Amino acid sequence: MKLAVVVQRYGADLNGGAELHARYIAERLAKHVEVEVLTTCAEDYISWHNQFEPGVEQINGVPVRRFPVSRERNVEDFGRRSIQIFEHKHSLAAELAWLRSEGPTSPKLINHLRRHNQTYDYCLFFSYRYYHSYHGIRATSPKAILVPTAERDPALGLRIFRDSFRSVRALMYNSPEEQTLIQAVSDNGDVPCVVVGVGSEIKANPEPERFRQTSGIKGPVMIYIGRIDKNKGCGELFDYFQRYSRLSPNLTLVLIGKTVIPIPDHPKIRHLGFVTDQQKFDALAASDLLVMPSYYESLSMVTLEAWALGRPVLANGRCDVLCGQSIRSNAGLYYENYEEFAETLQAILLNRTLQKTLGQNGQAYFGKHYSWPVIERKYLDVLDLLDRETTGPPRKLQPLPGWFGRHRADLPPSRSVVEGLPSGPVLPSPTSASSQPWVGFS
Amino acid sequence: MAEFNIQSDSVDVTKIMGEIRQRIREKRGTDYTEQQIHELANVKLEQFLDPRQVRSDLVEHYRNLDPLDPIPDSGPGTDPIPEAVKFDEETIYVSSRGLMGTLIRLIRRLLNPILRLFFNPDPIIFAMSRQAEINIKTLELLRRQTEQMEQIGKKFAAREALDTLNYEVLNNLVVEMTRLAVDMKNHKMQVESVAGRLDFDERRAKALETVVQNRSAAQDGPSNTAETPGTAPASNRSRRRRRRPRRRAVPSTQTPETTASGRSASPQNAGKKPETADSQSLRAQAITDSAKAASTSREPTEPRAAESSLVTPSSQNVVDPGVAPPEARDTDDQ
Repeated sequence: MKLAVVVQRYGADLNGGAELHARYIAERLAKHVEVEVLTTCAEDYISWHNQFEPGVEQINGVPVRRFPVSRERNVEDFGRRSIQIFEHKHSLAAELAWLRSEGPTSPKLINHLRRHNQTYDYCLFFSYRYYHSYHGIRATSPKAILVPTAERDPALGLRIFRDSFRSVRALMYNSPEEQTLIQAVSDNGDVPCVVVGVGSEIKANPEPERFRQTSGIKGPVMIYIGRIDKNKGCGELFDYFQRYSRLSPNLTLVLIGKTVIPIPDHPKIRHLGFVTDQQKFDALAASDLLVMPSYYESLSMVTLEAWALGRPVLANGRCDVLCGQSIRSNAGLYYENYEEFAETLQAILLNRTLQKTLGQNGQAYFGKHYSWPVIERKYLDVLDLLDRETTGPPRKLQPLPGWFGRHRADLPPSRSVVEGLPSGPVLPSPTSASSQPWVGFS
Repeated sequence: MAEFNIQSDSVDVTKIMGEIRQRIREKRGTDYTEQQIHELANVKLEQFLDPRQVRSDLVEHYRNLDPLDPIPDSGPGTDPIPEAVKFDEETIYVSSRGLMGTLIRLIRRLLNPILRLFFNPDPIIFAMSRQAEINIKTLELLRRQTEQMEQIGKKFAAREALDTLNYEVLNNLVVEMTRLAVDMKNHKMQVESVAGRLDFDERRAKALETVVQNRSAAQDGPSNTAETPGTAPASNRSRRRRRRPRRRAVPSTQTPETTASGRSASPQNAGKKPETADSQSLRAQAITDSAKAASTSREPTEPRAAESSLVTPSSQNVVDPGVAPPEARDTDDQ
């Protein structure tokens, strides 16, 4: 069996969520099936500038075939088109133009998929919202498997993606919340799907003492790992932490990651910047808890890593996925305002039994659902079941309407579509999918 | 902080969150509704501003005061804001000629690709539509600010009315304070008058006693006469020393019973140590001196009508200056 993993960027040093997810999956599945990664030459996800040479290279034993991006993103044009389709009534043509503007526009990659369609048994597309996924799925519909990595953002409400969600062979969701969201927006309940997620490369034997010695941090530590951005809820986190720090001045907030917004000048906020994986896991092991203030997450890998190390998580309760994960795992608390932030933080820091039990639950949850053998097994089962399903009728891809149909501005603003979607965490029930690997597979 | 009941093998995050939220609600206290808060505020206002004490219709004034009373506006600034022009990607093709307009619009749309050969209208359309949106938002902002200004103007007017009422309250307080100050002055003068009369009576009694003693000494003979001047005045002095402090305290604290018995029965005095003869004599001397000073400026035997009319109920217990106090009479009888 030959599997094509199609992703917008790929590289050993790329740390974007979906890109890392794709690399982990490709490298893990390469042990079981033949895998080829199809990607672009881009490294920067904003400009899609061709940084790598086109052609084939090996990364960690996996062949990677790169295709050039035909035009870099015009940020101004993209912003203008985004406003047009997110906020106003628009046409299908406007959505397609937005997709071209977003990129990474690589017709050569799509042509390769079209021409070598028969070479691959299945094509695993990562991130529904990019050019390569939309056009790649249309080129390889009967063989396309989509890992949407969808969040509750306005792009999810675009009409063009509804067809993508309906026409693939299978969907690999990151969380039950993502599944609910996509099924609500595209009505694709008949498409086979499974909630898989992704594992993580947990460094063995992290040394918390090494982190304490090198950083000189004493006392309790709350850690945040990720891009330090307003969209990730870091502004709110800084505000809450500074207020909390007046009451409990011993706690230190450690930040790891690239910063986009200014970090407050506070004696108890320590920004360590970009660190190695070993340093990251040392810091995580040395911390008392991980805080995840993001409003929108498809699946927080850092959260899973914290659970893998037995650390409890304090999540933003307004993020359905994080809230749902915390409830299902019983391994984290969540907050929706400052009072809850202070109380939950206090509870975790002061109640050692609670802290320890949450951490243990996290470890058990990670082991049960996100350890690599489990993830690999789920992917292989999907491929196996799809092989057996070939007797069924192939899914028909909806053709695009004609010129007039595409230019009729009758589509609602996508933001209003997303606002109308169901929200809230998916709570565990006795008949939930936790015991059955397949959801919606007939 | 209360501890959670956590068993090491089971944690229910939903339950813990429920407990945490319950604790937050308890910390905040009872959640009053807006209406309840207003009711409480009104109750407090009524307690503070008792109409019987301050002004009969003051609370009514407060209640009737409408902080959002409109204020007259000067005309030029209130011209209606012009409506914003709507502009979207269809606007440049639209015609207003009815059925013909539809045809014209269709033709324009069909010729659009040719137009695009000369220039790209999309950025212009986008810029115009954005500008139209900005205009709408600006107008909305302007409208909101105008409303806010009107609200501020109304609040200023309400504040002025409130200031008038505040002035009235202040004025009432000042009047009450002045009245109390005058009352206090009157009471002071009355005390001084009573002290003067008391001193006069004492001197009169002393003089009478001396006369009586001289007469009896003359009748008894020279042997008795020799010791009388040394003993009788001393015993009188000691009686006065005992009485004076009690009389001094009569106008403000003594009840009729204590005045009659000449002994304080108040619980405050019950636990106190009895004063020594020296301290009593010193205090009696000081009172006598002050009473003398007061009596030099005023005729004690004829108190003014105004002073007698200002006697308070407690001061009515003071003995009549023309009549000797019961204790003194008893002593004299003895």
